[in-house]
Amino acid sequence: MNHQPFGRFIDMAVASGTPLPPGTFTITPEENRRLAGVLGADPEDTTAHPLWAYVATQRGIGIGVADLCALADFDVADGPMLGSVDMELRAPLAVGVEYRVTGEVLSIVRKEGRKTGPFDIMTYRERLLDGDGAEVVSTTNTFILPRRAA
Amino acid sequence: MTPEAGAALGPWVVESVSPAAMADFAEVLADPNPIHLDPEAVKAMGLGDRVVNQGPANFGYVLEMLKAAVPGATVVDLRVRLQANVFGGDRVIAAGVVESVADGEHGTRILNCAVWLDVDGGARAIAGTASLILSQNP
Repeated sequence: MNHQPFGRFIDMAVASGTPLPPGTFTITPEENRRLAGVLGADPEDTTAHPLWAYVATQRGIGIGVADLCALADFDVADGPMLGSVDMELRAPLAVGVEYRVTGEVLSIVRKEGRKTGPFDIMTYRERLLDGDGAEVVSTTNTFILPRRAA
Repeated sequence: MTPEAGAALGPWVVESVSPAAMADFAEVLADPNPIHLDPEAVKAMGLGDRVVNQGPANFGYVLEMLKAAVPGATVVDLRVRLQANVFGGDRVIAAGVVESVADGEHGTRILNCAVWLDVDGGARAIAGTASLILSQNP
């Protein structure tokens, strides 16, 4: 039966819950200004932009996008696409503060679209923790990984 | 003053998405993907002949729209789907609507909003929801 409305979990190098290598990240004043400039925001605003919730987790986790894709046996050169982002900000982000960054793979699910052909949806969560270990930010992201039809 | 349910948010407009800003954001993101930097790479991927804006910049515009629409509010939750590409030179419009308003802790108000980013004359690039906390003025 080809109808798979919810996709199916597939056997990959990683299992659900596999932790990602931790790291650290500090938002610098210079990079905060650059980010504001990219978005057309006030470059004199010294508060950390909320988009750092995504950027800091993505950069701070101890694994690059290419290696993250490799966990799903996917070559980053084949064009992963960011499909969705859920960001929860439990406290204001701060410039000049070192955050610990942790995360884990939540799932890798195979789907097939009539037009797109087969693709995998890789869902992973990353978070920023302050010096006391309290969660400041949690992001849950999905990458869409197009698979060439066999 | 707290917006009421049904209040429109935005529009907040980028008249022309800048390839130079994409190059800058590529460094901030530490993302060297050439589709954000080199039109030839975009052609090779069959995506057209203009550089592709980074997805996080697209929902960053939505955050800027919220900041302008509800001054003093703090975004506590943003959930977005990235539905279409935005290309260099595109005019994009971020907007939203307040769907509900509720009482929060310590006299705050919580605004639950639908948000989006449209390419002028094109597709909806971002669609999702946002929750903001707004302190009440005494």
